[in-house]
Amino acid sequence: MKKTILAAAGLLGFAALCAAPINAQSGTPWLHVRVEEKKDTTKVSVNIPLSVVEAVLKASPEFFEKHGKIRIGNDHGLKLADMRKVWKELAAVGDAELVSVESDDENVKVMRKGDLVQVFVDNKRKAGKDGEKGGETVRVEVPTSLVDALLSGEGEEANVEAAIMELKKRRGDIVRVHDDDSHVRVWIDEQNTQVAAAAPSGK
Amino acid sequence: MKLAIILGVPVAMLATIASLGVVVVDVREGGPDGNRIVVPVPLVFAQVALALAPIAAPDHAMRVPEQALEHMDLAKEVLEALAAAPDGEYVRVEDHDELVVVAKEGRYFKVNVKNGTRENVSVNVPINLALQALPGRDGRIRTAALAGALSGVRFTNLVDVQDGKDHVRVWVW
Repeated sequence: MKKTILAAAGLLGFAALCAAPINAQSGTPWLHVRVEEKKDTTKVSVNIPLSVVEAVLKASPEFFEKHGKIRIGNDHGLKLADMRKVWKELAAVGDAELVSVESDDENVKVMRKGDLVQVFVDNKRKAGKDGEKGGETVRVEVPTSLVDALLSGEGEEANVEAAIMELKKRRGDIVRVHDDDSHVRVWIDEQNTQVAAAAPSGK
Repeated sequence: MKLAIILGVPVAMLATIASLGVVVVDVREGGPDGNRIVVPVPLVFAQVALALAPIAAPDHAMRVPEQALEHMDLAKEVLEALAAAPDGEYVRVEDHDELVVVAKEGRYFKVNVKNGTRENVSVNVPINLALQALPGRDGRIRTAALAGALSGVRFTNLVDVQDGKDHVRVWVW
């Protein structure tokens, strides 16, 4: 009897050890958005479980078409199919400066660096007398895996379902935007608040 | 014996009503001459009124407009996802003296708005009640289901508004 109890206890202990890492990885992913405005001292934090984001997208038929794909079309001169081809070719190149536009008013750079797509916009506009805003600097960083997932659809459809699956796996920053007035950070972790991660690690 | 019956019947009735739940609206005006108004409404009255509403009210009054009906599936999906989602602070807006926090705690959404030390508004929205408030596929508000869901919000502070020295509180006992 004693042997049976010991064996059962051992089995339970082994099962608990095996289950522990699984539990550690299966925490609920939360999508966090943090917006900080320098002038107004306004701070906005939004924390939403990804399951809720997924439910919203799935339940919104005009946004999320059948099988989780969004039709983008040519409304803004943007062909997703072409973007997909270019992205595929760029993936083979590896780290590279994808776009570089320099003008008197604005410099724009799009780069692929490691697992990030970086967009830099430097607007050189001078502040107007009527309160018109001066130039601004925008920095956006998006993981390449997210772009891969979005472009994994066919034709003129972005695969949002795949993007959400990718987001579920991902932990860390998704998008960062810095400009002169504000700082926006979108990231995913398993915490239900931003208390520990509130301070944006600016560039 | 007669006295016992005369006293016992109303006490028993009050106890029965109280055991079924009471919605209490408590308004306290600030200042030395401030009034205090307490209105207890037995929950069963509200439930009966809701259950009888489809008979008394005209049909169009019990229906959600067509335009709103288009979004009801989305609202239901979102509310169901929120009901199943873990607790946490969903939204926080800090602006000078103002603080707005929307959090999910168990079966409730808690909305808290603070404006300095003067204003403090706290609203608890029972998620199940919000789900039951959604109309059916035919666009009719399901008052009977709503009445049933009311009993699930007992012992809850629904609204608490502190404005200066004035205080309004609505809770279900």
